[in-house]
Parts: sequence; structure tokens; C-alpha cells
Amino acid sequence: MIGIMQVRLSGFGGQGVVLAGLLLGQAGVFDGKYISGSNSYGAQARGSGCKSEVVFSDSPVDFPHLTTADILIAMSQGAYDIYCTDVREESGLILYDQAVVTPREGLTVKHIDLPVTEVSVRRLKSKQAANIVYLGALIESTRIVTTGSIRKAITMHVGERFRSLNLKALRAGMDLGRKVHG
Amino acid sequence: MARALAKYIRPGVKDTPFCPGCGHGILMGLILRAIDDLKMDMKRMLFVSGIGCAAWIPSPHYNGDTLHTLHGRALAFATGAKLFNPDLCVMVVSGDGDLSSIGGNHLIHAARRNIDLKVICANNMIYGMTGGQVASTTPRGSKTSTTGEGNPYHPFDLCKLVEGAGATYVARFSVTQPVSLIQSIKKMLLHKGFSFIEVLSPCPTQFGRRNRLDRPDEMVKDLIRRCILEEEAEGLTEEQRAEKIITGEFLS
Amino acid sequence: MPSRWAKSPFPKGRYYFSGNEAAAEGAIAAGCRFYSGYPITPSSELMERMAVRLRKVGGIFIQMEDEIASICAVLGASWAGAKAMTATSGPGFSLMQEGIGYAAFTETPCVIVDVQRAGPCTGQATKVGSGDILQARYGSHGDYQVIALSPWSSQEMYDLTLRAFNLSEQYRVPVMVMADEAVGHLRETIEVAPRIEVWDRKKEKGAAPFDIEGQDSVPPMPSFGEGERLSVTGSTHDGYGFRKTDDPEIQARLVGRINRKILDHKRSIIETESHFMEEAEIAVIAYGFTARTGLFVVNRLRKEGKNVGMLRLKTLWPFPDEAVAEAGRKVKKIMVPEMNLGQVAGEVKKYVPCDVISLSQTNGEVIGPEKILETLKKI
Ligand SMILES: Cc1ncc(C[n+]2csc(CCOP(=O)(O)OP(=O)(O)O)c2C)c(N)n1
Ligand code: SF4
Ligand SMILES: [Mg+2]
Repeated sequence: MIGIMQVRLSGFGGQGVVLAGLLLGQAGVFDGKYISGSNSYGAQARGSGCKSEVVFSDSPVDFPHLTTADILIAMSQGAYDIYCTDVREESGLILYDQAVVTPREGLTVKHIDLPVTEVSVRRLKSKQAANIVYLGALIESTRIVTTGSIRKAITMHVGERFRSLNLKALRAGMDLGRKVHG
Repeated sequence: MARALAKYIRPGVKDTPFCPGCGHGILMGLILRAIDDLKMDMKRMLFVSGIGCAAWIPSPHYNGDTLHTLHGRALAFATGAKLFNPDLCVMVVSGDGDLSSIGGNHLIHAARRNIDLKVICANNMIYGMTGGQVASTTPRGSKTSTTGEGNPYHPFDLCKLVEGAGATYVARFSVTQPVSLIQSIKKMLLHKGFSFIEVLSPCPTQFGRRNRLDRPDEMVKDLIRRCILEEEAEGLTEEQRAEKIITGEFLS
Repeated sequence: MPSRWAKSPFPKGRYYFSGNEAAAEGAIAAGCRFYSGYPITPSSELMERMAVRLRKVGGIFIQMEDEIASICAVLGASWAGAKAMTATSGPGFSLMQEGIGYAAFTETPCVIVDVQRAGPCTGQATKVGSGDILQARYGSHGDYQVIALSPWSSQEMYDLTLRAFNLSEQYRVPVMVMADEAVGHLRETIEVAPRIEVWDRKKEKGAAPFDIEGQDSVPPMPSFGEGERLSVTGSTHDGYGFRKTDDPEIQARLVGRINRKILDHKRSIIETESHFMEEAEIAVIAYGFTARTGLFVVNRLRKEGKNVGMLRLKTLWPFPDEAVAEAGRKVKKIMVPEMNLGQVAGEVKKYVPCDVISLSQTNGEVIGPEKILETLKKI
């Protein structure tokens, strides 16, 4: 990865968008990147446009807010509709799940369909971990952070009660990422 | 007597700032008597006050650390000092307006926390310093510079207020009951936790002259007549009771 | 022995802190051991972190009944010997003003972090603004000075809060960290140095704590309980704290000194940063989060060959008059973008002969690059 990479995670409040952003940014810091992260706050964080944005850079970040997303994770139709047009054309990437999001036609951005809901329910018996499944898939397909760092970030920020579920979700997501890639 | 207390007065202080006949001057001496009886170490004592005539009782006269703060905020300053240095013996001496009107919220919260603060409220039932305006402690019907027709509202019962809020030592005495008051201040100094003494203190200048107690001695006589102990109040009619002021220790 | 080098409470390294968390860590590193506060968005995370951290380092944390009590408890603790702080946002900052005046007049060190939100009044509690800049300077009555710093990153929430304590101890003055919601909630890589410079208040047994004969400098400050039998008052006082409420000379001298002790040292207090100011024809003067946007745009325009530069104000009060005047001599026009109706632009105008264009935005959002770019292109 060179220069700047801007990632937007989005969904509705309660899907763990903010936590996923925190973990991604923390992993980036462990990898030695300069990170600026911000997320929806207050009433916004409860609404359908809940987002968490992480700017990755090899040198100190000048403007800390996201300007154009290189990667969008859209965990709900509402979030997809708001943010899908704000992804870099050609090189950009949108991760979504056909079970919950119907993509828009005519966008020149690469879409990757991931059966995250199904995997969460079937393999993890919990929809709560979908955010981390997405993270796993993102990391596997872009190498935006290292596996070691994201695992360290989960250990640091996730309470003991949910830690093993989250680590399992990460693995499930990485398997998914490998499949779509391979 | 005056000579024995001189060591408690800050060098450089010449005279008290109070009007002739003001109860605050009497209280100023009585507190020092209690401190002297217990041989308190003044180097460990911090006296905090707000703004008003009563706030000048300790500041700068007492020869310990004195902190003269903002109107109403003495208890908040005292809370910070006591929490950071628990070795300090922190006594708050301030007026009724200061502690219970503008500072009323701090008063109930300090009582609730039961932090070891020793609070003496010099209650003259009026704003002395600013010219005799009505206070939250002014009796119903009393005349003040802002209630020419008589105060239409009920006053606070300060002792009940702080007791309800969580204080762990509560008493009321008048400067006309010096022996009991000194005893009570000594108990307060030895008590651990939020302790509160309401001290009735005549203000002839602002209260007396508006309420047909023109001469200082008339105010003192009036307090002597009206301040009775709880036991003495037994058997009085409602009407008789209403014009008395019940004093004593309510919680110890 | 004015300053000393201390080991950072954190191992050297990089961390991922929000601005509010970083400010709390900067305070702990500076030696802050007392916090009293009252919850208010968007500053509450700072208080919550202090509640946890102070317990670990043996300090005192208390949530008070309101912001008036919070600032007053800070001042009481400061005289008891603590490096003490509080944090708040607009409505709470308004309530603290009388206490801030008390701190200035009694020369009580304290730090206040104001995480500014969109005002006036309750305004938009979760949204950003920087409408408290003039209030920081003039919010309490009478003539006095404060120091106010303006962080633009999580890193500076750490660095400048630490510096705020140092300045406060050094000059015995209230120091404000004028953060904003965007910086308070921004989570960034921050670097913690292994050793940090720490200032402690000067002590001298028996010396007058409120004046130095014939000098405009900062007197020593003992604490309660040290046997100094201090007399502290917010009324006009002489060198030993005796009230002097009728003496015109003492009033004039005290007011004069608490102002001069800051203004005479403004060159060591004020920090600014110049970017591309050589051969600049237009200068952006910015502070806080908006300076991030400003520099981003200036960088872009420089690459396009435009002669634009930027002066960033890290210190807002005392106002960086000399740096601003120097910028004003170099360029033809100055643009001041800010999330208020021109509070700093008005100040800039006092010191420069050139045109000053105020770019105001008070809609609760940060000023984005497009807006600054557009305005600069029009100039
Ligand atoms: C914020 C503020 N409001 C008003 C005043 C004016 N003021 C000074 S003393 C005082 C009343 C003091 O009354 P009390 O505490 O009962 O003391 P007393 O003078 O009666 O002993 C007032 C209103 C002030 N100093 N500060
Ligand atoms: S005005 Fe009243 S309270 Fe104040 S000094 Fe005079 S008599 Fe005492
Ligand atoms: Mg009174």
C-alpha cells in the first residue's frame, strides 16, 4: 500500500460499525501507519447512516476526514444508498452482502458480494459478529492491515466475554475473502 | 481571655470589620474558644468562606490558612482542598445567604457526600453586606429592603435541610448561648463527616432597624427570649411555639 | 529549578487515542492529580478517562453537582497543592467564568479544556463549532489575562494539554485548551516521548505569595497545610493576601501585574507555525481543526504553483500579534476560515494593513477543503 487509503464502514446503529472502525484503525497503528479515524456520534450513531471512517497513510495525515472512499463496506441498504456514489471510480471497492443490499446499476466501482449474513448465522450462530466478518474479508482481500495486528487490536478493545466470538468471526471473514479472491 | 486567644489571630490584623452589636463578632471569638479548648493545630486548619459579612469571620483574621472565595461557592472550594489534602482540618464559615441561597445546591450536595467538612452558617436571616435584602432564611412577615410589606415566603429550616440531605452532625445555637455553642463546635471539630451548625447571629444594622429592634441589645434580648431547647418547647401551644426558635443538637 | 525532566507515565511508542483521551493522558503526564467535572457532550470522554486514570495513579476524581462547583473544587485543590483540571463545553464554560476570573486574580494555576460545540446556548450538542474563542479571553469581568491554546490533532490534545499545565504552573494563570468537537473525537496515531519536561510552581518559604516587590513577575506559591498561614482572597489584596478594597494604588498595581506578567512573557508563551509563507501573496490564518483543512488546501494550491501560505495559531491568547503583523506585511490578502462569525478574523484585522477576508461557517459542520478552495480561488 502506498500513499493514502480511505476506508468507510457503514450500516445502521447497533451493527458494530464504530467498533469495526476502531479495530481497523488500531491495527493500522500497530502496523506503523499514521491513522486518522472518525465516526458518527450521538444521535447519528443510532440512525441508518452510521459510519466509521479510517484514513491510512505512510506519513502524518494532513486532512483527517475522509474525502473520497477507496473502500466502502455497506452493511445496510440505507447506508449503501447514501455512500455508494462517494467511492473512487475505477480503483474503488465496495463490499456488501446480496442478502441485505441490492447494488445500484451503472456504477463503475468494483463490487464484492460476500454472504456475510449467512456465514454469521450458520458458522457463528450470531448476527452480532457480522462487522468482524466484514473486517476479516476486507483484510484478506486487500491486506490493508496484517492479521497479527488485527488480532492484537481485538484483544485490546474487545471485552473477554466476546473476544473468542470476534476472533472466530475474523477467521470466518478471512475464509470468505480468500474464496472470493481465489 | 482576649489575651489567650491572641495567638489565633493573624499578625497584622487590627480590629474586626463588623458593626457594633453584630453577632458575627461574637461568633468569631466563640469559634476560637472551641479551637483553643481542643488545642487544635492552626497550621493544619483551613478556613474557607464565601462572600458577605459572615465570610469575613475567618478571613483574614484567623491565623491558619484562610480561603475567601466567591459568593456561594465556599463548599465547592473546600471540597477540592479537603479531597486533595485529607490531613487538613477544613472549616467553612459563611453566611445564610451565601451557603443556602446562591450556594444552596452545593450545600445539599456536600451534605450528601458526607465529606469531612465542618460548616458553620452564621444566620442573620438577611443579606447583611449588600444592604438588608430578603434571604432564603428571612422569617415570613419580616421587613427587608426588598420586602417592605413583609416577606411573603417561608424560610428554610436549614438544619432539617442538611439533615435530609445526609449531614451527620447537625445543630442550631444562638450566639446568645455561648457555652452550648462552644460545646457544639468542639463536637463538630471531633466529628468525622459533614457537620453543620446553624448559628443565629443578630444583624442590628440591616435586620434589627427594619423590624422594631432598633438597638443591638434589643436584638440580643429578643434572641435570648426566643431561643429555647427542644425539651423546653414541649407543652407549648402551636402559637407559642411558632415565635420561638428551637435550638440544640438534632443529629450527633 | 524551574523545570525538570520526568519519565512519561506511558512507555514510549505510538498509540491510537481520540483527542479527548489524549488530552487526559497529557494531563496525567504533566502531573495532574485532581479532576472535578460535570458531564457535557462532546467533552465527557475526557472526564471518563480521568476517572479511570486518576484512580490508577493515586489522584483524586470527583464528579461535582455542576460546572460552577467543578471549577471551584479545582481551585480549592490547586491551593491544596494539586495540579488540577476540568473539562467542559460551551454551556459549562459559561458557568465557569466567575471561577476563571477568581483564578486569574488570585493567580491560581488550573487547566480547563473546552471541547467547543455549536452554540449559542444548548445549540447542537454533538456538532462542532469554535464560538468560544472570545469568551475564553473576555468571559469573566474585569481586566485580566489567560493563556489559550488551540490543538489541531489528537497528538496536540496530548502535547498542548501537557503544555497547558506547564504554562499554568509557570505563570500561575488559568490556561485553556480550546479544543473542538472534531478534534476531541478524532482518533489518531499519537507518539509519546519517553521523557517529558515538567514545570512545577515555584515555592519559597516566608515569601509574599501575591507580589514581588518592584517586579512584574510571578510570585512563589505555597500550599495550604505547609505552615505558611496563607490568606487567599478574590478581593483586591496586598502581597500577603490582606484585603485592600479601598486602596487605589494596590488595585492598580495588582491589576497591572496580573496582566503584565503574561504580556511581558508573550514571546515565550506564543507558538505559531508558518507554512509556505516565503513568497506567499495570500495567507490563510487558521487554528484548531480548521487549520488541518487550511493546510490541506494550501498544499494542493502550492502544487499548482499558486503563491499561497498559511500561518497556524497554536496559541490564541495572548494573541500572536507579532506573527500576524509579520504575515500581514508579506502578503496582499489574508483569509481567516473559522467556525464562528469571525472572532479571530476581527483580531487579525487589528494588526495588519492588508485586506482580511473572514470565511465563517456556523452550521455545526467542519469547514471542508472545497469551501476554502473556492474562497481562495475567488480572491
Ligand atoms: C455572584 C454574586 N452575586 C451577588 C453578590 C453580592 N453579594 C455580596 S454579599 C451578598 C449577601 C451575603 O449575605 P450572607 O451570606 O447572608 O452574609 P451576611 O452579609 O448577611 O453576613 C451578596 C448578595 C456577589 N458578591 N456575587
Ligand atoms: S451589616 Fe449586619 S451582618 Fe454585616 S457587619 Fe453589620 S451588623 Fe453585622
Ligand atoms: Mg446573612
